[in-house]
Amino acid sequence: MLPTFKLLLPLLLATCAWSEHTSNWAVLVSTSRFWFNYRHLANVLSLYRTVKRLGIPDSQIILMLPDDMACNPRNAFPGTVYNNADRALDLYGDNIEVDYRGYEVTVENFIRLMTDRVGEDMPRSKRLLTDDRSNILVYMTGHGGNEFLKFQDAEEISAFDLADAFEQMWEKKRYHEILFMIDTCQANTMYSKFYSPNILATGSSEIDQSSYSHHADNDVGVAVIDRYTYYNLEFLEEQVREPTSKLTMGDLFDSYDEEKIHSHPGVRYDLFSGGEAEARSRLVMDFFGNVQNVEVESGTRKNETAWQAELAAIERMILEAQRRHNESLATRPHQEHIVEEAKAVETMQALRREGAMRVDEESGWKNQMVGAAALLGCAGMWAAGSWFEKRGIMIGCKAE
Amino acid sequence: MPPPAGADASAASTSGPDASESPSESLDAVRSQSHAPPETSESLWLRRSVILSFWAVVALLGLPVWWKTTAIYRADLPLPYMTDWADGKICKPVFPLRIAVEAPLALQDAQHLIHTTQHALDDLNEFSAHHLRLMLSDLPAPANASQQVVRDEGPTSDEDTALSIRLIPVETGPTPRSHLQPYSPTLDVYYAANQIPPPSSTGSPLATFIAHELHKIFAEEQALLAYLLSTTSGAHTAKMQSLSPETTAELERQSTRAFKYAPTYHLTFSLFTPSSMPSAWDIESALQQYLSPLLESFAAISNFTVDSQVQLYAGFSPSVREPEYDEALKAWTLRKEDLSGFINAAEWPLSPSIGIGPTVNFVLYVPSESQSPLLVKESGANSWLVPQWGGVLILNPVSMAGQNGSIPTILTKDALSPAMHTFSDQLISLLGLPQTPASLPLRLSTLKRVRAASLLFSASSTLGALARLTRALPSIPIPDTVAKSVDLTTAHLQQACDHLRDGRFQGALEHARIAEAEAEKAFFERSMVGQVYFPDEHKVAVYLPLLGPVAVPLVMAAIKELKSGLSAIRRR
Repeated sequence: MLPTFKLLLPLLLATCAWSEHTSNWAVLVSTSRFWFNYRHLANVLSLYRTVKRLGIPDSQIILMLPDDMACNPRNAFPGTVYNNADRALDLYGDNIEVDYRGYEVTVENFIRLMTDRVGEDMPRSKRLLTDDRSNILVYMTGHGGNEFLKFQDAEEISAFDLADAFEQMWEKKRYHEILFMIDTCQANTMYSKFYSPNILATGSSEIDQSSYSHHADNDVGVAVIDRYTYYNLEFLEEQVREPTSKLTMGDLFDSYDEEKIHSHPGVRYDLFSGGEAEARSRLVMDFFGNVQNVEVESGTRKNETAWQAELAAIERMILEAQRRHNESLATRPHQEHIVEEAKAVETMQALRREGAMRVDEESGWKNQMVGAAALLGCAGMWAAGSWFEKRGIMIGCKAE
Repeated sequence: MPPPAGADASAASTSGPDASESPSESLDAVRSQSHAPPETSESLWLRRSVILSFWAVVALLGLPVWWKTTAIYRADLPLPYMTDWADGKICKPVFPLRIAVEAPLALQDAQHLIHTTQHALDDLNEFSAHHLRLMLSDLPAPANASQQVVRDEGPTSDEDTALSIRLIPVETGPTPRSHLQPYSPTLDVYYAANQIPPPSSTGSPLATFIAHELHKIFAEEQALLAYLLSTTSGAHTAKMQSLSPETTAELERQSTRAFKYAPTYHLTFSLFTPSSMPSAWDIESALQQYLSPLLESFAAISNFTVDSQVQLYAGFSPSVREPEYDEALKAWTLRKEDLSGFINAAEWPLSPSIGIGPTVNFVLYVPSESQSPLLVKESGANSWLVPQWGGVLILNPVSMAGQNGSIPTILTKDALSPAMHTFSDQLISLLGLPQTPASLPLRLSTLKRVRAASLLFSASSTLGALARLTRALPSIPIPDTVAKSVDLTTAHLQQACDHLRDGRFQGALEHARIAEAEAEKAFFERSMVGQVYFPDEHKVAVYLPLLGPVAVPLVMAAIKELKSGLSAIRRR
């Protein structure tokens, strides 16, 4: 008995060390609006559906959709978004929770989300409440280029910003492992600047390479999905059938076929602790699913008398708690005093902060005013100078 | 004095078509007469002073204004001090526990007993940061106090005393023996009168016995603290040697299971059923009876908010395997590996967006009549715990409604009592309460110390992270509020550390809590964000249209003037 136990023990320890994360989060971002970018929203919605099917709850999925394709007047099938010309699956469905919508999808909001630098009024459902035991899937799609990704045709996030955001997350212990996935032109440049540990990154195309759409639906009138995303989904939907799947990230990466994708997908392993072998051995479900290790309690543990004894103990505990409560009434004022002090400090801080914010804004205006005044001053000086010059010449003329 | 050539030329050119000369001749006339006379030094200096004044405006006003308006404000942070906190150089937490001894003995005898016990205890202790200090209780017990009298007095109400030991002389039964009271921090030690060590001796079985008992009681706390010290700061790794790999693995498992500390937790009790029955439950009175005493006993550490919900027709997620009927168990069974998919996260409304703290979920699932009883295949259990999430219990109608097995419409308080018991067990382990010793107040005070220490470490490490980021990202702004929060954090950390050293653990927890909140506020300051990286092309694109038209005439004029000045000097 004892030797077998000793044999088992390392195994048990190994399983403990193996699955360290306790929660899974997904940040799914489309960055482009307008009807002809239908496919980017379809990409994101397809992935949303997949991670939801594999068990990540809505509260742990942050979905950013910059446009509303389902209600676009050009949509021939109102209220729906499809990712395939067969239109078998309505991605929009009736159970979809978009966290950031329309003009809320900005670079600033994305970085705020990742670093959790949000206002106090931000609802918890729109925040990434991760800790050092959370695995995060970050999926981005849109139009990009060398080391940048365009947001909404108005601004862009650079690879440096993204790398710094991840570094801030790592410093604050906001993730255990990250899978970064990006489907855009020259996508692999976006993860080239990362420098924080435990990030596994993959992208659709190399530098100076475009990513292509898979096919168009003639009735919808635009392309409905991108190639890289399409083949990722094909793997996830056909091979990862249920949450107990044991397929690894290596299997997913090996399934990429450059012939089909029409570009060279890249994978970056070097940031991962343990390198390529370790990263490839991670389960697909470690990032796309929500693996909650359960601890089953032994079934037949309590007999009736033990149960009664427990109840009696709870009963006694009530009395004890009440007694202690009564006793502590005498000492309570002191405690409350501490709490009040803390609260006072807090409110003071809040007040101060508000003040500082206002000053910030004012100083912003002041800066602009000063700048404008300086410019006007320069122009005035210029005008005055040229006038003086003319006058000077004329004076000179007259003098002569 | 000849008229100025310029005036003449202009007169010639303005004569226009009426003039008799052909255009080419007039041009020649201009060319021939356009040798400017030497500029008067007056106009030369006037021009130079005009150009100089323009440059002066640019250099003295423009540049400073540009510099001031584009500079990123960075408040002064005490970076080395913050890093020192993170490295554990400033505060080495120690946990001196006061243990009061009530001995019905003469003062001298009692002091001698305490002295020898303290010796034995110090010999046993391997973990220097955590030590037990014995002291004689304030109220001198009368030497002839009977057992009954002592019991009536009760434990001392001093909050900072971790444990009180009552020495009770008895004539019967094996001695020395001890009994730890389950609902008060009191250890009763029964001894025979002849076991009191004589003043001359240096050791005694009674002293050794007490020391061993104390060591046993605080063993788990020591392991917890040692584990915490070793995982959170590199400076303490040397102390880990005393922990065996098994203990470490167990502690690791416990820390994975337990929630991170929060001042407020939100408890959600949910009733899910795939049919329309039961449609109500007596949850309020059940919680009142079975759970509120427990929550109240946690009041010194965390607060709780509670809500409940009922969801009818709650189906399994389509990707999870349906339960199978097991002939041997005569029950429907779920495989253990499918349990993680049991919660239908997509459709069951288990949203965390209520309240401010983390949500602890408790799910009571009543299976439909056609699928009951429903059990876990491997162990036959009906409940399980999901680390850092909550607990699940399947309440089978058979066990609650007797023979007929029909599901009642309302779950009564009595029917809920086993569920409530399981949930309170799960809550205890989700909150990280240690398993031993058997006395609840002792475990709570252990948790208090562990939480205070972990808050101390987490606030310190946040300070360190902030310091590193400040150094690494020179382009993010740092407003004054951050500096203020950092000052507050360090002040409260210092106080927490002092309180720990003095053994005032409640105060230490309060201060550590404030320090943690302030450190989080400093790190997550809203204005410390923004697009921090601008490529150089962007800067050119912003500045060129603005400054180009202004800069070109300025620079050209300056160059021209410098040239002419230089040539004039050369000519002279």
